[in-house]
Amino acid sequence: MTLTLSAWSALSPYGLGREAFTAGVRAGRSGVAVLDREAYPGPFDRAGLVPDFTAAGHLGRKGTRSMDRVSALAVVLVRQLLEEIGADAVADSDEVGLVLGTGSGSVQSIMDFTAASFTGQKPYHVDPALFPNAVMNRPAGQCAIWHRIRGPNATVAGGAATGLLALSYAARLLRGGHCRRALVGAVEEYSVQRAWLEWHARAAGVDAGDADQVPLAEGGALLLMEAPDEARRAGRSPVATVLATRFMAFDEPDQAHAVLANCVTAALRSAGVAPEEVEVVVPLGAEGELGRQEERATAGALGGTAPRVLRCRPLLGDASAASAAFQIAVLLATARPYGPRDTGIGLVTTVDPHGVVGCALLRTAPGPAERAPTSRASGSRDG
Amino acid sequence: MTRDSRRVVITGLGVVSPIGIGVARFLTGIRTGRSGVKKITSFDTSGFQYANGCEIDDFVAADWIRRVDPDDLGRASQFSAAAARMAVADAGMPTEELRRRRVLVSVGTTDGESRDLDTLTARQLDAGVEKLDGRTVRRSAAGRLSSGVIRELGLTDVEAVTIPTACAAGNYAIGTGFDALRAGEVEAALCGGADAVCRKTFSGFYRIGTIAPVACQPFDRDRKGILTGEGAGMLLMETLESALGRGAPIYAEVLGYALNCDALHPVAPDLDSLARCIALAHRHAGIEPADVDFISAHGTGTRANDVTETGAITKVFTRPPPTISIKSMIGHTMGAASALAAAACALAIREGFIPPTINHNVTDPECGVDCVPNEARPADVNIVQNNALAFAGNNAVLILGRYRDGTAA
Repeated sequence: MTLTLSAWSALSPYGLGREAFTAGVRAGRSGVAVLDREAYPGPFDRAGLVPDFTAAGHLGRKGTRSMDRVSALAVVLVRQLLEEIGADAVADSDEVGLVLGTGSGSVQSIMDFTAASFTGQKPYHVDPALFPNAVMNRPAGQCAIWHRIRGPNATVAGGAATGLLALSYAARLLRGGHCRRALVGAVEEYSVQRAWLEWHARAAGVDAGDADQVPLAEGGALLLMEAPDEARRAGRSPVATVLATRFMAFDEPDQAHAVLANCVTAALRSAGVAPEEVEVVVPLGAEGELGRQEERATAGALGGTAPRVLRCRPLLGDASAASAAFQIAVLLATARPYGPRDTGIGLVTTVDPHGVVGCALLRTAPGPAERAPTSRASGSRDG
Repeated sequence: MTRDSRRVVITGLGVVSPIGIGVARFLTGIRTGRSGVKKITSFDTSGFQYANGCEIDDFVAADWIRRVDPDDLGRASQFSAAAARMAVADAGMPTEELRRRRVLVSVGTTDGESRDLDTLTARQLDAGVEKLDGRTVRRSAAGRLSSGVIRELGLTDVEAVTIPTACAAGNYAIGTGFDALRAGEVEAALCGGADAVCRKTFSGFYRIGTIAPVACQPFDRDRKGILTGEGAGMLLMETLESALGRGAPIYAEVLGYALNCDALHPVAPDLDSLARCIALAHRHAGIEPADVDFISAHGTGTRANDVTETGAITKVFTRPPPTISIKSMIGHTMGAASALAAAACALAIREGFIPPTINHNVTDPECGVDCVPNEARPADVNIVQNNALAFAGNNAVLILGRYRDGTAA
């Protein structure tokens, strides 16, 4: 069963909604800004924060007292997508699934909760209202409660590959008959705790030299995935077709290029797409060795062709587990034609330092300016 | 072969549990009603009035993990990697054979590498956030629970996904493996769940009053709550055609599963929503309620869970079948819970018995189920329902059946 993406939204350093994201990407403007060091002490001076974002500010005071940042980002992101497609898309809500990618939920919430157990007068002097935030499926659960989404509610984690893994997981849910529509994407929050963990992890990794160079980003992107006839019945025109997702694994960093090349070749083969039909590549684009491995892989798998490369890192920084979701959004935000043949075929790739590579092959629908679904809202009313 | 005719079977089990490591010991444990409860020693419990749990004290990572440096894996990833190794060996599938196949590895979890996150939190408080150990930070990523498995087994053509959907995550992971095999997307699936006992989760459950002082007593009138446990359960699944082709013994067939979400409350379960999930699972598996020989319940032993869960069961079943909880023996192993329970179900089908609910004195009339108190019961088991509930109102119900030649079970 071929699956289509029939709506999408993003919440990013460019602000709220698909239109803000599209404008930022098309202008090639960086969303990274100087950090308020009082609010965010830590190893980084700059970051890609969603501007002026707070839970209470965007969702009201009611129900947000104990809501952490990653949950609030997720709830607003889902709201944006629902505004794009209309609330009737979730009216039959048992049929709608939500698949949300995460790094580790909110490491800030988790470690703050544990810290309270260490520092309180008694080890159980922790705030019970914050306990659910210390569990990784909290953002997906908050979205379900806030928007009454009662179908399968899944949380998926896999480092930089998370967004692609979420896409793959959601495709299995749909093909397995577990829901008729799936909201699928990934979110990350910026927090001081995440910043320090990323910094330490980078310093211990293969690209140690860049530990404090690449700024972190937050936000996420969310897609509506469904069967084409389901979209047609609802009067939604597809923005893209998912032709393939594929994953492979490597042991040593110097094998990454060969493994990713195999992975891309396998995806092309399963989709029946020739290498030269790929007109645009959206890589993770990590700095250092793994980034070079990724470039080499694409060049190898696509042969002599020279597709356009859309780079997310200079625009958004390192969005960790939201990276691949942003990469897909960047593809969807970019105007066709990508190349002279106008095939609309884009390749999204990732190389995760834990030894996982992945890719997705998509064919975007023609007419980028008209690609907005038959919507009744702009999707950026939250500001 | 069409999608609908592709059947999925379990041919290998890997178990790391508080009542035994390895299938043989686990089987003995659930058949004889062993209790895994002891005093928690993995973190400092001073200040808590009681701190019993179901820790594993005989797990030596290096005994099981061969290819990866065990110190590159946190405790939960050590469990999942070890259990995956066992499942592959138990299935009689040479590692080389598995490496030739396209594989899905899915590992459910509640807390990921929570033990490492506890350690990092303590270090941060003592020495400052600048002094964290990079290696511990790197291995604390949730994705590691699945990527550790592929590294340990040296798999290449593989999709590794961690599913942190809390305490129902094991069933989620098994379900997605089932979907992948049915659709012909992969040629083998290694699926299950893993978690390690940690201070964070213990103190949270303690604070909300759901930790039992001594023992876990599901469905008992005097039940006092959960005991936190740890471990991993991993299942090797393949298509029936693949299993028959290599002459592999079959534990059980996966008939179907269902997921839904209450979308009501962050922690309290909902009767109607769970009942709907059970009915969905029956429909997906193509069975009737009367076909179910026993239910492996989520059965945490809290007041709220057991009444709600048995209420949902009573709503769907005219006459509820025996309804048991292996948490009475192994505690609440969080993301591993429904995976270990699925392993228990597969063993029950093969061996012909219903595992007991131990520590049982008097059944709560509000629950009113036959929980097979204290002693396992011999039975001809054809179809089993494995329930899992999670924080955030997530329900996951898995249906396993005895493999029968030719026709669907």
